[in-house]
Amino acid sequence: MEYWKDENEPIKMFVKLFEEGFKDADLSGGLKKVNQLIWFDYTQDGPNCSFWVDCRGGDLKTGPGKPADAPDLTMSLSADDAHRSWSNKLNPVMAITRKKIRVKGSATGLLKLAPKLKKVAELYVKVLKDEGKEGIILK
Amino acid sequence: MKANTGKIIDVDLSAGTVKVEQLPEEYYTKYIGGSGLAAKLFWERGNFDADALSPEAMLLFMNGPFAGLKLSGASRHSTAGRSPLTGGWGDSSCGGFLAPELRYAGYDGFILTGKAAQPSLLLIEDDKIEILDASEYWGQGATQVTESLKKRFGKAYRTLVIGPAGENLVRYSIILNEGHHATGRAGFGAVMGSKNLKAIVVKASKKKMELVDPERFEELRKELNPKIREALASDVLHENGTAANLIGGMYAGDVPIRNWTSNFWEEAADALTGSTLTETYLTKRGACAYCNIACKRIVEVKEGPWAIPEGPGPEYETIVSFGTLIGSIDLAATCKAGRLCNDLGIDTISTGGTIAWAMEAFEKGDLTKDDTDGVELNWGDLETVIDVILPKIAAREGKLGELLANGSVAASKKIGKGADYTVHAKGLEAPMHDPRGGGHGMALTYAVEARGACHVADPMLFAEMGARYYPEIGFEYELEPRTDENKAEAAVDMVAFGAIENSACFCQFADAEVTIPEWVELFNIVPGYEWDAEEMMRAGRRVFYLKRMINYRFGRTADDDKLTKRMLEPATDGEPEGVEINFEGMKQRFYELMKIDPEKAIPVKEVLVEYDMADEAGAVW
Repeated sequence: MEYWKDENEPIKMFVKLFEEGFKDADLSGGLKKVNQLIWFDYTQDGPNCSFWVDCRGGDLKTGPGKPADAPDLTMSLSADDAHRSWSNKLNPVMAITRKKIRVKGSATGLLKLAPKLKKVAELYVKVLKDEGKEGIILK
Repeated sequence: MKANTGKIIDVDLSAGTVKVEQLPEEYYTKYIGGSGLAAKLFWERGNFDADALSPEAMLLFMNGPFAGLKLSGASRHSTAGRSPLTGGWGDSSCGGFLAPELRYAGYDGFILTGKAAQPSLLLIEDDKIEILDASEYWGQGATQVTESLKKRFGKAYRTLVIGPAGENLVRYSIILNEGHHATGRAGFGAVMGSKNLKAIVVKASKKKMELVDPERFEELRKELNPKIREALASDVLHENGTAANLIGGMYAGDVPIRNWTSNFWEEAADALTGSTLTETYLTKRGACAYCNIACKRIVEVKEGPWAIPEGPGPEYETIVSFGTLIGSIDLAATCKAGRLCNDLGIDTISTGGTIAWAMEAFEKGDLTKDDTDGVELNWGDLETVIDVILPKIAAREGKLGELLANGSVAASKKIGKGADYTVHAKGLEAPMHDPRGGGHGMALTYAVEARGACHVADPMLFAEMGARYYPEIGFEYELEPRTDENKAEAAVDMVAFGAIENSACFCQFADAEVTIPEWVELFNIVPGYEWDAEEMMRAGRRVFYLKRMINYRFGRTADDDKLTKRMLEPATDGEPEGVEINFEGMKQRFYELMKIDPEKAIPVKEVLVEYDMADEAGAVW
């Protein structure tokens, strides 16, 4: 991995990112509209390298690993590409076209999140700074 | 010859004669089929001096080599000829159910010339081809006529019908297949109307076609159909239709607002997006023949001023052209407007574009009530649009109907004002993708495509989204939409690829999942063109070149490869705010790469020779 020292580090950042996102009225509103259980699968970088976000029923939750319920949507990619993605430096359509991201399930809800990606990226920079990871912030 | 039958029908409506003829195989291997084949036939036989609405004008309906295959996306056909809207080359792709039926009946297409003495319909049933009286249908809406024809001939008979607008020679009239699928662009409904042809009806007795390698095709089909259906884009299109990504488009600045004066309207994104249509008015999903994406919408608006019974619903283009483009976010109204446009037989893109221009003209005082029969043209007033303006346009009724029935360019010329805020290329009103936000490469391809501003003449829009990747031909660009970087280079491949798509008559949504090796194999195992990837791309480029040469013979030059002032003004809001498009730089680079003469706007002679077009070169050099 280019940006991470082990498989647990990116998951810690991403879970924190979503926990912070849930506190933001705009982002949480957008996530509630998604109304899906999403598994972000980075297991190509290690068996524990994944996390989930549950946007179902207006109650937002997140956690490491694979969700207990079957996910509505699974997005499989590398932890490095996930870093680029949350930094808004990876065009998701391009990544899907080039098979860098593999999607399983319905992604219709995710389209509603497109307008929020810039804001997610801003929040992600803050999280990285708070966690002492300024060195990997993408300009 | 396989897949293609090599047979076309030549119909002289003045003489009332029908002739079936066999085409040389070389026409197919050089020009593919569909719009490419139509261009070749027009080049050989078209009258370049004839007005588009004169009896001498030639109207061509052509299948691609894949028509009739049980393959998602392969059931389109192309209609082509001189456009009555632009005066130049026009071609328009239509999905639905006509293409397979025509192929099974034994034909690759048909050519119409002349003018029938009375309202007529053309009936094609295998070897039986007749011109029948259609006086009883003249003046009726396309929906009613479609239903009447189904009752008269049978449900399995496939129909192409024009509405009253086509009869009245509205220059952006459509031809409607099965009451739902439109040959939308370039105004070919008016050409049918000028020929007194209300409808075309096609039925084959058998559903058979011959392929070069049917066993291998069946294997490939079983790989391709699931791959196409399971793709993320297909899933999204199936679920929420062509407007599925309207929200993303809005935030990118791709969605035009109030005649392209704005690039961002937050409230409109949620109000008009595909998922909102699904949640509010969708009753069923529809599909073209053999397609399992099913991106078509069937809708019902149960109550309110825009109530409509269950039937065809709006595509993205209609939702925007009767939504944000004219200042509205009323989704039910777009459903009603789209339905009415189908029935009257007018193109929702050009109609919306022309009305948006008129609304701005009225706002500026360039149009007054004296010009509009006393009708006020106000942003967002869908009641007036639906109840007054659309019927007036279709009937050419009054000053307003007559003014708008020829499109925005002719209207601005007529009043001597408003050219700066027309939105078109070569006279074709632009679709609902604003290159300032959607991608600067699209500005280039809007300008250089033969038919004018069109988002499906080539897949540049998708390329700039990041949804096109063809490493086998070196197309590996990582394009940033709002810059000119690599856009001319990308356009070189995309215009060729667009020519392949529109000549093979393959849907852009479905073929996004087809790789270059699979494309090549399809051409080799279905019609047997014996191509490699290079030869396939050469054929696409050859078609692109030929259409430009047709335009040259219509009097078009490099001065016509341009966009209007409004389209190139930096956006005043949204994601693309303040960004300038380096249009001239991209155009110059594109000309250099394509070896296009900077004045004539056609390929230099050496290139034509290189592309086995020495004979054609003689007509222009």
